[in-house]
Amino acid sequence: MDTRSPWYLAYRRLRRNRTALAFAALFALIALFVLAAPLWANNVADTGPNATHTLDKVEVDGEAREVVNREGKPVGPLWFSAGGKFFLGADGRLGRDEMVRLMYGGRTSLFIGIVAALITTLLGTTLGLLAGYYRGWADAVIARTMDVIWAFPVILLGIALGVALATSGLQIGPMHLSGSSIWIPILIIGVVYTPYVARPIRGEVLALREKEFVEAAVSQGAGSLRVMFGELLPNLLSTVIVFFAIGIANSMLLESIISFLGVGVQAPNTSWGTMIAGGFELITSSPLLTVIPGVMLLLTVLAVNVFADGLRDALDPKAKLRLEAHAGIAEPEGTPV
Amino acid sequence: MRKLPAALAVVGLTVVALSLASCGGGSDSGGKEGGTLRGTYASFAELDPTIAYTAEGLTAMYNTYLPLLTYAHANGQAGTEVVPALAQSLPKISKDGKTYTLTLRKGLKYSDGAPVKASDFASTIERIFKLNSPGSSFYTAIVGAEKFAETKSGGIPGIETDDKTGEIVIHLTQPRGTFTNELALLYSALLPSDTPAKNLTADPAPATGPYAITKSEPGRGWSYVRNPQWAKTNGELMPDLPSGHVDKIEISVVRNKATSVNEIERGKSEWMQSILPADLYNKVKDKFEGTQFRVEQPINLYYFWMNTSQPPFDDLKVRQAVNYAVDTAALERIYSGSLVAAHQVLPKDMPGHEPFDLYPHDMAKAKELLAQANPADRDITVWTDNESPNDEAGAYYQDVLSKLGFNAKLKTINADVYFQLISNTSTPDLDTGWTNWFADYPHPNDYFQLQLSGESIAPIGNTNLARIDDPKLNAKISKLAEEQLGPGQEDEYAEMDREFMEQAPWTPYGTNTVSTFVSSDINLDEVIFNPTFGQDLTSFQFK
Repeated sequence: MDTRSPWYLAYRRLRRNRTALAFAALFALIALFVLAAPLWANNVADTGPNATHTLDKVEVDGEAREVVNREGKPVGPLWFSAGGKFFLGADGRLGRDEMVRLMYGGRTSLFIGIVAALITTLLGTTLGLLAGYYRGWADAVIARTMDVIWAFPVILLGIALGVALATSGLQIGPMHLSGSSIWIPILIIGVVYTPYVARPIRGEVLALREKEFVEAAVSQGAGSLRVMFGELLPNLLSTVIVFFAIGIANSMLLESIISFLGVGVQAPNTSWGTMIAGGFELITSSPLLTVIPGVMLLLTVLAVNVFADGLRDALDPKAKLRLEAHAGIAEPEGTPV
Repeated sequence: MRKLPAALAVVGLTVVALSLASCGGGSDSGGKEGGTLRGTYASFAELDPTIAYTAEGLTAMYNTYLPLLTYAHANGQAGTEVVPALAQSLPKISKDGKTYTLTLRKGLKYSDGAPVKASDFASTIERIFKLNSPGSSFYTAIVGAEKFAETKSGGIPGIETDDKTGEIVIHLTQPRGTFTNELALLYSALLPSDTPAKNLTADPAPATGPYAITKSEPGRGWSYVRNPQWAKTNGELMPDLPSGHVDKIEISVVRNKATSVNEIERGKSEWMQSILPADLYNKVKDKFEGTQFRVEQPINLYYFWMNTSQPPFDDLKVRQAVNYAVDTAALERIYSGSLVAAHQVLPKDMPGHEPFDLYPHDMAKAKELLAQANPADRDITVWTDNESPNDEAGAYYQDVLSKLGFNAKLKTINADVYFQLISNTSTPDLDTGWTNWFADYPHPNDYFQLQLSGESIAPIGNTNLARIDDPKLNAKISKLAEEQLGPGQEDEYAEMDREFMEQAPWTPYGTNTVSTFVSSDINLDEVIFNPTFGQDLTSFQFK
């Protein structure tokens, strides 16, 4: 009889999933890349993410070249021919260093993705727990509120909130967030995805609260909070972790969409979404300005999604079996994991 | 019955044949008459002359709704001349400059067959106030207009009309040197007196010009046909105004400008009203300039305003430092070559324009001036809208101010609400920012009265964004506003341009050009670009 903890078993299963681990490594590399932004900016590119170089010249193999030519076309990737300056070229008519902006933009995108997913997960889990445990009027209020938010297409709701808040900002009690604060897209994304966590959590809580271990806790005099956070939450943890991981990918995607449409991250802050938008205008003459941040976004979202998939398989192997059974490829019951 | 001699009959038949040929086929320029012109707009235009104030609307209705006066159908400077339209001649102005008398041409009709009456002018001006039109301020000098603007009833006593004689007498509260120009604005284009006081974009009013709008689908497009009354009566009564070459015009809204370029290249449309996308501008220019592409110069100015009513821009040295720090050459490049650098109030082609530059780019001097001023408040907000390349101009400006020593924060606002926000003086942190001004009419007062006079500072709808209020210059603006424009006045406006730049409430950086891009089927040489109304739809002709 295997007496090791379920977390250890999950870790073993995850370790055996080489695809998930490879994509986790890719994600770690991307994270390292964006964290190194100040190092690159100060020691190699010698410029900041918002510094303009419209009329500047850069020395390429001993020859001075305009960062932006007279027609407004930015210099293309110079790789290391200018000592790492304008490694990926300039970003457009302002002549900002594309590589520096890509690294700083990645920091913004990842930060928004992680924090928004955290907000979604915390809000969704708490509301799902409350609704599922208390049922009755609490459930009615929370579930219907979630239904209202769910009823709006996520992108449309994100855009609508983005337009409204990008102009006037947001007042939360004594705290005012200006329209250009990156906390605005974080809060928007965090809120619009909440029902996507709260509803499944509520469903799980509704099933779990009827289990014997909950009855046992109640009979021993445990209060509601103790039951919810001491008994139910630990049983939900694997689901919550998977939601959090998937939430990062979804949040990054939504951020890039609303930023592309001009209502997410506001200039001069940059994110991969704003970089795609900025490059899109020059797509015929400088396609790399759109392609590079697009590829970075694709790789990051792919890495997070594949890893989250592996994490789900590791934390909840029965879910995988259920899915495979549904698809007709299930292994026989009792196959060791 | 006598018979016509055979030779005379031959001559007669020849004349008839030639007349028919000129109606149906060729023209003086050798192009074809008739056909359908297909054009694209990047956004839908308001199709109500009382309301429309955008370049899109002006171009769309230049040949549909005619005021008593209009601007000559000509390119460049010639197109700034005010000429009679529905009125028989230019107004007779009383010696005190307060009474304007015009006479409506007899026999004019709207496209629905109804007669055009002198009293329609009074109801049209009333409609301007009933709809709170953006053009209201041009007509508040009419006696009783301000009261009507508040009550929306009781008529405007300063307008006297006689439907029998067609006489229209307008009494002003004070002389107004720009009033002739204002009578040529689209806002005062005559509409039937029973026209409802609501936006008629979806159901356009009957026309007086050579083209009538027959179908309007807001957001999608609209189309024109020849106004049947133009051929019958109006065209003969206004022989100086062109009748147009094409029979039908179909406009569709195509938001992606690159698609519009592509459609012209593929021959799927003949013209695009919007400016070319920045990344295609030079490519199209290089390939088609002279044959299908032409750079046009409307009267406009792009500038950064500085709020002179509060620190740090209440200090002249700070404002001058900013003027030295901004490099107009960099902005020319940001606008991909479509912008022509300028560093003064009056733009090129505006009467009174005398080129000068008090602040040639000098960052060292800018830093020296700022050091002398040493402002305590260096936290400033830089405003701009999100339309390219204005957003990039704002980002450049923010970077310049940061390099100068300010803690500048950029605020990029959706273009749909940008002007509404910055023209509301209660909006917090209105320190400095981007704006532009396209001339309402070619008169220098349009740049000074609304944008630089202390009288124009208003809590809502403020057009004096710099909030400059210099009593001496205010008095000069008021004095010149009462005088008819002549060479003496032009000199005074030129001098005032320099005086304002010495005060440096703005950092002007250039005049933007637009472009005419047509398909190879259109005779580009014949296309007229009026500096106020843009492309003249009557001038489009198939080769």
